[in-house]
Amino acid sequence: MGIYIYRTLLQIVPVLFIITLIVFILVHVTGDPVAMMLPDTASAEDREILTQALGLDRPLYVQYYIFLSNLLQGDFGNSFRYGEAALPIVLERLPASFELAAASMLVACCIAIPFGIWSAVKRNSVFDLFISGVSVLGKAMPSFWVGIMLILIVAVQMGWTPVSGRGGFSYLILPAITLGTGIAAEMTRLVRSSMLEIIGQDYIRTARSKGLREMIVINKHALRNALIPVVTITGLQLTNLVGGSLVVETVFSWPGMGQLIVQAINSHDMAIVQASVFVIALMVILINLATDIAYRALDPRIKYNR
Amino acid sequence: MKQLRHISIVWFAFILIATGCSGGTSGSKEEGAQQEKVLTIGNTIDNVTFDIHNHGNTQTESIHVNIFEYLVKKDGDDPRKKLPGLAVSWERTDDLTWRFKLKEGVKFHNGDPFTAADVKFTLERVAKDKSLVDYSSYSNIDQVNVIDEFTVDVITKEPDPILLARLSRISSGILPAAYFEKVGVKGFMDDPVGTGPYKFSKWIKDDRIELVKNTDYHGEKPNWDRVVFRTIPESTTRISELLTGSIDIAVIIPPGDIQRVKDSGSTYYVDKESARVQSLLVRQTPGTVTENPKVREAIELAIDKKAVIDNVLGGAGVPTQEAIGPGILGHSPELFNTDIYNVERAKQLLAEAGYPDGVELTLSSPASTKEVAETLAAYLTEASFKVNLEILEQTQYKQRDNSNTFKELALQGKGNSMFEAPLQLEIFITENAAGQTDYSNKEVDELLKAAATNLNDEERAEQYERAQAILAQDRPRIFLYQNKFNYGVNNRIDFTPRTDEMFYADDIKLKEDE
Amino acid sequence: MLKVFKAGLKNITQSKTGAAGLAVLLVIICISIAAPLIAPYDPAQANITRKLVPPSWAAGGTTEFLLGTDNLGRDIWSRIVHGSRVSLIVGFCSVAVSGFIGIALGLIAGYYGRWIDAVIMRIVDAFLAIPTILFMMLFMFVLGEGIGTLIFVIGITGWVSYTRMVRSEVLSVRERDYVRAARVVGAKDSRIIRLHIMPNVISSFIVISTLSIGRVIISEAALSFLGLGIQSPAVSWGGMLSDGRQYLATNWWVATFPGIAITITVLAIIFVGDWLRDWLDPKLN
Repeated sequence: MGIYIYRTLLQIVPVLFIITLIVFILVHVTGDPVAMMLPDTASAEDREILTQALGLDRPLYVQYYIFLSNLLQGDFGNSFRYGEAALPIVLERLPASFELAAASMLVACCIAIPFGIWSAVKRNSVFDLFISGVSVLGKAMPSFWVGIMLILIVAVQMGWTPVSGRGGFSYLILPAITLGTGIAAEMTRLVRSSMLEIIGQDYIRTARSKGLREMIVINKHALRNALIPVVTITGLQLTNLVGGSLVVETVFSWPGMGQLIVQAINSHDMAIVQASVFVIALMVILINLATDIAYRALDPRIKYNR
Repeated sequence: MKQLRHISIVWFAFILIATGCSGGTSGSKEEGAQQEKVLTIGNTIDNVTFDIHNHGNTQTESIHVNIFEYLVKKDGDDPRKKLPGLAVSWERTDDLTWRFKLKEGVKFHNGDPFTAADVKFTLERVAKDKSLVDYSSYSNIDQVNVIDEFTVDVITKEPDPILLARLSRISSGILPAAYFEKVGVKGFMDDPVGTGPYKFSKWIKDDRIELVKNTDYHGEKPNWDRVVFRTIPESTTRISELLTGSIDIAVIIPPGDIQRVKDSGSTYYVDKESARVQSLLVRQTPGTVTENPKVREAIELAIDKKAVIDNVLGGAGVPTQEAIGPGILGHSPELFNTDIYNVERAKQLLAEAGYPDGVELTLSSPASTKEVAETLAAYLTEASFKVNLEILEQTQYKQRDNSNTFKELALQGKGNSMFEAPLQLEIFITENAAGQTDYSNKEVDELLKAAATNLNDEERAEQYERAQAILAQDRPRIFLYQNKFNYGVNNRIDFTPRTDEMFYADDIKLKEDE
Repeated sequence: MLKVFKAGLKNITQSKTGAAGLAVLLVIICISIAAPLIAPYDPAQANITRKLVPPSWAAGGTTEFLLGTDNLGRDIWSRIVHGSRVSLIVGFCSVAVSGFIGIALGLIAGYYGRWIDAVIMRIVDAFLAIPTILFMMLFMFVLGEGIGTLIFVIGITGWVSYTRMVRSEVLSVRERDYVRAARVVGAKDSRIIRLHIMPNVISSFIVISTLSIGRVIISEAALSFLGLGIQSPAVSWGGMLSDGRQYLATNWWVATFPGIAITITVLAIIFVGDWLRDWLDPKLN
């Protein structure tokens, strides 16, 4: 186990290196941050002055070398937009993003786990068909559309929730539903198929043949074992969650990382883009590692050294 | 199995805690807010910075005017009229010098007294530091001399007829010299200090800026306890916030929502002519189709500007043939609000130019004005042009603009934070136009250069009007319309928009208070 | 080939949703091929004098415009018909691009192993750690909008799942006796890959790529919303939906029809994908 963790941790280093390289090249291939910073009326001379002052006239490899060595000290450069160090700006957004992510995950789990299990138990029933229909529908609708419809109906027509922004619990409802249902669609299907796999296994059949009541079989035997893969499924939805937050945070003016990234890309704020991609990647890798370890710890059938 | 139960319990507990925590903290604040008078304004973009010298953004300035004050203030309706701000009086003492008498007894939010040294620090910082974004608008200032504690001389390198305009915009908000030097830019960003009626309270990036009233304000007592500027980029969301009463004023109402704002019963709609003029940049480079003046004229005649304004902008504009709008020195009324749409004449001109079967043109536009561009393309097609439409995302558009690589036509809006002619017209001087439109007219060059340093306003106005008349014939740009900017406002609020798009919170009142 | 087709035909009668999905998808493909014949108007031609006309059956609608017109007076039905081309072209081509990259890298990684495998898998990990939509935004932003870029972008961000699938397939096949035997006899690598590995890979590929096409259509809509989708004068469903959102409260038809078009198409693709999976590759389920 220890060796496994150690080896996986070692693999993270080249992955992070590749990420910095991809992002750096991407952001520097083209684009003119100076153009975005100056007012419409600035002259060519003004641009020249600003370019030099910001060091953007130096060769790419020099910029990358500087970027990388700074990065090792946690310095991603200064945000053009805010004129401050990029990393703290990104980290400042984590609580808001985390709050939304956790709530969305809760919504997703609340939908996906019971529905997934139920539709597996009642396989091929009308209910099963209905659930898979709805979850497929959930995948077939763009999330910004769902979000705007929720705002128009629930917040404006009904007046049940606030429209946008971050505040108390009520502000969380609509964005969490929008983001959560998008993920729930995928999760329901995964939970259902892992449940089906377990129901088909011998010991469940044995339990059933012994004449145990259906509820007991499901609760005592199947459910617990089915929940193990659910942990992994939840972990795997993380990138989808972060990706979805770009759109959902923009729709709901949620001050998290998603909106930060969208705004940073639109204003070509390279430092913020790089820092946030790096932070997201690191989080995703670490959380996946954590769920992986949890999964392996729970299920002794899996070996560590392949 | 036990392990599993633990893990799932931990996982759910942690979700609950994460969601619960934030719920608790801000809920109580909302309740306390009921007694307060709070004004909430919905902007489209976040405050860029609190370093007022390092941005060029109007919405950001509209927040800052409540915190920082200018020496002279623009009148809301007539931007050429200057009102006393931190200066009580001002006069030109010679061609290069303006003398300002400052208001006494003014204190910064941190308690420091406001003196001439602060003016010197503020203006010299932006006039001398080339790395600041707004440097170019101030580089004509040579030095600022402190005459006594409440008197300063601002000395320019060249005679500057528009110095007062420079001193009543973005970078001229007076900063506290001693405090700024002590805490540095970073420290100032975290806790900005000015002399205005509202003090900075908090900034949650991409969410809101909150200001609280400055009880020690030197002028009339501030009208609101708290002023909140929210950032709501998505227009559907912004309008929904307005309609549900969560914000009092929403900026930029898209055409599709104007009627909704008018009809909602709880909100009203206002618009105001801005200094922003939308135009088509027309390349005159030898070898291009648009080198021929007849083709350029045909393009302008082919476009029904009024119909574009009414149908695409929801009426938020005025057709024009000139670079500067009413109220700005050099404006020519005979070129404003004209209707010269004539598609038959356009076809005829095109035939005379040697293209009876039409000719190919490329029209570039930023994504933000793509609907206008698509409509223009339709009108040009009507007049038998064959239009290649090229819609570019903002940054790419700017890059093409800066590298002068547009083809025949490019749709462009030009703002004018100075409310003076030079910004809008000097792009037509031969050197400045080289590569961009390749326009060159000796007479225009002479007129504009003479006007730039002419301290006689009457002569200056004539020079600009003459230049504009020539430009309307030569068409290095085809001016389309002067934008109106619009707002949705809650019925409880009395709000009159200003031409400079600022939100002076104390000019915005609760109706019940009147 | 005919045999496979027959088997498929027989199999599809077993799956109602699969059959329905396939039928819808075929109709959409036909529409997109015959778009210029079906669409009554030029989809990009604005005419503001006839803007926001409601659909033909609603009050104020005319039979001239079946589904009404948008805010610039363009016929929505014509735009949807032409937009289907963009959605399908982008869907199929980008899956082809990512399939090509993914299968090639997966084969290389699985077959040659060692450090090549390690490098490729680290790149895969790197791509997996960054949300796809973020990657797409970055690429779109840097390379500029256009159908070509969009295909390239979605292609280059979507190859990872193919690589993983192919690699694991190769790893399991490589150790089988008949492949080992072939190698001992001195068969060329290319021959082994073609004869022994590809047949095992192809069915998984079909299943994964069918489902990806649906995802691509949704991604295009999200990109349009974020301001980095396909730009006019090209017409895409995502772009129509995104532009029409402003009119959701006042002129519902502008955004609703492209929304329905997207949903129906993606639904059909998912149903077909599920059916293909059940049929071709039960172990993926």
